[in-house]
Amino acid sequence: MTVPTEVATGRPRSRFAAILRYTLQSCIPPKRWAAVLLPCAGALLFGLLVHAVDSTAERAFANVAAEGIFGLVMPIAALVIGDAVLGAEVRSGTFHFTWLSPTPTWQIVLGRWLGGSIVALLTIAPASALAAIVAGTPDSAGPAFLASAVGSVTYVALFIAIGCLTQRTAVWSLAFVFLIERLLGAALTGIAQLSPTWESRAIFVGYIDDPPSRLVRDGIPQGGDAIVRLVIVTIVALVVANWRMAHLRLSGAAD
Amino acid sequence: MTVTGPDPATVRGDPAFAVNPTVEVVEVSVWFGPKVALSELSCSFGPGVTGLLGPNGAGKTTLMRAMTGLVGVNQGTVRIEGNDPRRNRAVHSRMALVPEDEAVPAGLTARQFVRYVADLHGVVDRDAPDNALREVSMLDAADRRVDAFSKGMRQRTKIASALVKDPQVLVLDEPLNGADPVQRVHLIALFKRLGAQGRTVIVSSHVLNEVERMAERVIVLMHGRLAAAGGHHAIRDAMDDRPRHVLVRSDDGRRLAASLVALESVAGVTFDSTRGGVVIQTVQARELATALPRLARATSIRLLEVRALDDSLESLFRELVR
Repeated sequence: MTVPTEVATGRPRSRFAAILRYTLQSCIPPKRWAAVLLPCAGALLFGLLVHAVDSTAERAFANVAAEGIFGLVMPIAALVIGDAVLGAEVRSGTFHFTWLSPTPTWQIVLGRWLGGSIVALLTIAPASALAAIVAGTPDSAGPAFLASAVGSVTYVALFIAIGCLTQRTAVWSLAFVFLIERLLGAALTGIAQLSPTWESRAIFVGYIDDPPSRLVRDGIPQGGDAIVRLVIVTIVALVVANWRMAHLRLSGAAD
Repeated sequence: MTVTGPDPATVRGDPAFAVNPTVEVVEVSVWFGPKVALSELSCSFGPGVTGLLGPNGAGKTTLMRAMTGLVGVNQGTVRIEGNDPRRNRAVHSRMALVPEDEAVPAGLTARQFVRYVADLHGVVDRDAPDNALREVSMLDAADRRVDAFSKGMRQRTKIASALVKDPQVLVLDEPLNGADPVQRVHLIALFKRLGAQGRTVIVSSHVLNEVERMAERVIVLMHGRLAAAGGHHAIRDAMDDRPRHVLVRSDDGRRLAASLVALESVAGVTFDSTRGGVVIQTVQARELATALPRLARATSIRLLEVRALDDSLESLFRELVR
């Protein structure tokens, strides 16, 4: 390369900031935003659905949110985000521009997770809160926001870890949500204790007044304890992702 | 099989190895499920431009990915300046890969993309991204989105993203794909200049002519194994000395065939009714190329078509591994 006569130097720019900026700029293009916002619109429809339920608005919203928002909208929207920030890049063959650098893998994992979490906090969590307002229970908006925020950032971490473990992130993530969490988690409390869906429900239930008894599940911590549980799950998922990222086999389609 | 040639940069007697290697590949095997991509491959690369030649599926891309650490090897070792690229991430600041894939990050301009790579490598020179884009004549398009570029422009932007980190080892997988003739000349001059600066430049291609214009040394892969190595003259000689078949269609095939058998460069002549011409077998292709027009002029025979039937790199490879 030619060396310029006058070199404009300074401190090197932060690698972590570069990864975060890249995640927000490149990993979530307009089509992905649309794919995230679609289930968020579904959350608002679930809020409207509450008006058709013959119960108090608080109880009706709690039941609808438990199944519709925490069980469906949140995992699907988080899956779109989690896949975008890593799995889709690995599949398309653009991830090696990041991987082939001296940047420590933990910075890559953390930057991707933080970028995905920001998107989740700007979309899924407000949509859940808005659904509560649409349902006519503004008092539930705070707990819904908190539960969705914690649940979705945990999901993003889990889907990043799945993206590091497998090539087919979307398929394995769906299998995780619907087979492991929904089916096994419904039967086995041990699995539900580590599940973002079940723990998000527990966060929500822990912070609302007079929750429906069917949403209170024995053996699953509620409120703040559920938040702690999901924070631990998030940390473990990020550690696994970091460990696996160093061993990724980024083979392309060619040759 | 190795083809020895006059290449001072290689270890005496084994042209597969460079004298001062920066990239060492030792007994490397890579497989993907049942498919063996590389099989016990040993070679090394040093300063200057080395061509990595082979037909599609030969294992060039896998070797390049293994060299850069993108793909872990199942057996053997890869060392970049003595370091394992899978274990020591710091080595990535000294090397760069330009992949063959067309994929580029979505939603970024060329300048943003190159700056991102510069930031990841801790480049302190604020002008480095623009300088790198200028090197590949992409500065005018720096503010356009990379995902909207043509194949050639994408390739040049990826080369800029590799140059921005000022690498000592530059691995380029089919870098001339999609480039127009003017850009090809420019890029070849750039690669040669980088090699002359003492950098290790490894360029893969399946076109021999392309490689010999920029590489002093050539390593030929076939079915994941080393098929040949040496100076490009040695490879070219190997190609010239092997038997070739040339189809000649003319307005008087019978008379042409009778005249051809008198030529020294012709080993045999057969009629090919399906192709509608005469097939000449020769081991002196260059001499035949000179003699054939002379013969046509002397005998007033009009040549309609002259086409080598097996003048492809694949046929050379087949010959080399026979």
